[in-house]
Amino acid sequence: MVIIQRRVIIAEQLWWAVSPHITVPNAELYRVHRIFRRADNSAMTAPLSEDDIYRTSSQYRLWFFSPENLAAQRAKTRELAIERARHNATQSTAACEYLTAEEELRLVQRYCEQIRTTSDHFKWPITLKATAVQYLKRFYTSNSCITYPPKEIYKTVLFLACKAEGTHMTLSEYARRISTEKESILAPEYKVMQALRFTLEVKHAYRGLKGVLMELLNMAAGTNGEGYKSKMMELALPPKDNRTPWRSASSGSLDQQLLNDRIQAAYAAARTCLDAPALLTDVYFLYTPSQILFAALHVADEPLVAFYLDTKLPATSELRPKILSAIHACAAIMAAFSNGTVMSKDERALLEEKLELCRDSTTRDLVKKHANAKVGNVDDEEERAKRRKMEREKHMKEGDDLFGATLSSSNGLKG
Amino acid sequence: MSRASQLKTSPISKRDSRMGGGSTQDGELHKRLDRMAIGDANSITNLQRSEICPVCKSSRYLNSNLRFLVNPECYHKMCESCVDRIFSHGPARCPIPGCQKTLRKPRFREQTFEDIKVEREVDIRKKVAAVFNRREDEFETLRAYNDYLNDVEDITFNLINNIDLEETNKRFDAYQKAHEKEIIENAQRAQQETQSFAAMQKAERQLAKQRREAARREEEEEKREMEETRRDMLNRLASGQDADLVARQGQQVQLKKRMDRQAAAERQRQLQAASSGIMLIKGLKSKQKVEPEAPIDPFGGVTFGMQYFTLQDDYIWEGVQDPKTNVQFGAGGYNVNEFTTRALCDAFAGLGVFVDDHDKATEKAPQSAEVGGVKGPAVAASDVKMEDPL
Repeated sequence: MVIIQRRVIIAEQLWWAVSPHITVPNAELYRVHRIFRRADNSAMTAPLSEDDIYRTSSQYRLWFFSPENLAAQRAKTRELAIERARHNATQSTAACEYLTAEEELRLVQRYCEQIRTTSDHFKWPITLKATAVQYLKRFYTSNSCITYPPKEIYKTVLFLACKAEGTHMTLSEYARRISTEKESILAPEYKVMQALRFTLEVKHAYRGLKGVLMELLNMAAGTNGEGYKSKMMELALPPKDNRTPWRSASSGSLDQQLLNDRIQAAYAAARTCLDAPALLTDVYFLYTPSQILFAALHVADEPLVAFYLDTKLPATSELRPKILSAIHACAAIMAAFSNGTVMSKDERALLEEKLELCRDSTTRDLVKKHANAKVGNVDDEEERAKRRKMEREKHMKEGDDLFGATLSSSNGLKG
Repeated sequence: MSRASQLKTSPISKRDSRMGGGSTQDGELHKRLDRMAIGDANSITNLQRSEICPVCKSSRYLNSNLRFLVNPECYHKMCESCVDRIFSHGPARCPIPGCQKTLRKPRFREQTFEDIKVEREVDIRKKVAAVFNRREDEFETLRAYNDYLNDVEDITFNLINNIDLEETNKRFDAYQKAHEKEIIENAQRAQQETQSFAAMQKAERQLAKQRREAARREEEEEKREMEETRRDMLNRLASGQDADLVARQGQQVQLKKRMDRQAAAERQRQLQAASSGIMLIKGLKSKQKVEPEAPIDPFGGVTFGMQYFTLQDDYIWEGVQDPKTNVQFGAGGYNVNEFTTRALCDAFAGLGVFVDDHDKATEKAPQSAEVGGVKGPAVAASDVKMEDPL
């Protein structure tokens, strides 16, 4: 049952991955529609807005947390994992010190960074990188480092993301280039799929950011309403703490070229912000991709995004203060992040030594576990041989009779 | 009405009962022998009967010109001279003892089938078919047509086997009276069709004949020309002309011939094209033109109202401009609008979606409450058995 469900969902989620060049928005909307049909069996009459479309995504349904819920979830996971590790512990390892919640989080973050550098090394697209990082983060909402050390998981996660995002690399090639055994990459794969709850699609902010860039450039050129262009010319300069590299050369009036430069610079800065800070913090769990991208723009060039949002959200809109506060909160998280907080290699080594002592002993050899599970869950080699022998004998017996084995009733008559 | 019940007393079952009691193992052989015996007996009696007039007892042995006639009223057989003798002064009773039918002379006719039962059945079927002449295209569904055919067969069967004769005749007459107009119309249509079909067949035959003749003419002409050129060449060579020149001229002649042949093939093709216009295929049902299907709506009526953006015709960003003008993208059917729509939709999808609303929604729906993650860790903590799908 699990397997069937798994396959269906994979197929559903992989649709994007395998058909990037087919009329993609329609495919997305089709999926949306199917989900809606499933919900209440009748075709919706009210038109769906962008927010409704987002609400149909698995990211909204399964991977959207409030900060408290997220913390509670992680605490619970850790608690269960420690309990389980204690239960499985042998006497020699019984009295050990478990990783603290903080340490666990930082270790996962460290491996997110690891995934990023590996992906960059392979020159894989940014969406793949972001997807892999999210897989790892999602995995560790329901699993603890104590049960599955991230060192064993992150390679699998990256390989899975590689498949899901449609960037092909064979397993042997991948294993060779990161100098790992193939088996150790495949072994935790099903476990990871389970923990991801078979939802492979991660919605990112990158494409949306391009959409905003497109619109801003058109506004600056005055192709959608003249009013925008003059307003943009009069926009305040970005404050000092904004990340955009653009600074007005002359303090006088802006010309078209400078305005375009400003937009492009804001875009570039936002994209950088969407890379490290957005991936290495929890914003993907706490905010929607749309909010994240506006927060990234907010970090990059505040006056510009404020102007843009003004054109989209009328002052009378009920949602406006709520949306703006969400964007500001998200921006604050991302702005507060600095690469220095990611743990160093030495620190990681120390932490992993500690983890080696306290980790759950049952999941120590994932490769063997996986191999056993594949062959039919029989641990004992002898028992398997016995079973094979019995099977063979049965076949031989049946083979002797030309028309198969005799019926039991006729046997009785003969006797 | 009672076709099924009639079948129970059919001769086959009688025969079975008669020969029953023997070993059923090789009953097939017995049956066959039985049938042969019956056939022989019948043929003898039939021969005797068919040779002697039941009225005047004159036999074909004495009068080789003896012709037997029947009247569809009672199907009793009698010789021509008896018919003349009894019925030439007007209608009279059937001379066969026990038959009460009054017969008229003009209705006497020669028997078509040897078995008088078959003769009668065919007559009845003709009569019924003339009245019940509905066509399949008059019915909305095949089921309705089949039901109608079933009813007609019921009536026919009853008439043939004299079951509920009174009631059946009443039904028959009622139908005839009620549908007089349609019956006539359908009969006319059928007549027209047979006429036009015959005409078309005739035209087709004519055309085929023309084609054959044309082909034969051409063949003859070709043969004649070949012969002519050959003779011409020989003559010229005999008269001492240059062999090269003769060969060259021969080539030209060949070329001309080839052109001629091509032209002939073309003519042939035209002829065929002309004839294919009235190609006749029997058994084709004339079909009404089907309404073109409406395009499939994959969203089943769901509409999308974008509240944050309206798509523009053109975006000046070079990321869009490049694929728009690049043939490599366009050739595969890629449309930049697909990307722009999706990018803008992505930009705003979820802008007004907040965690607190989400939590409220999940509280309301208990089946998705596990989303919050109550069930998640429990599942993860107890290692679910991995099953290999292979």
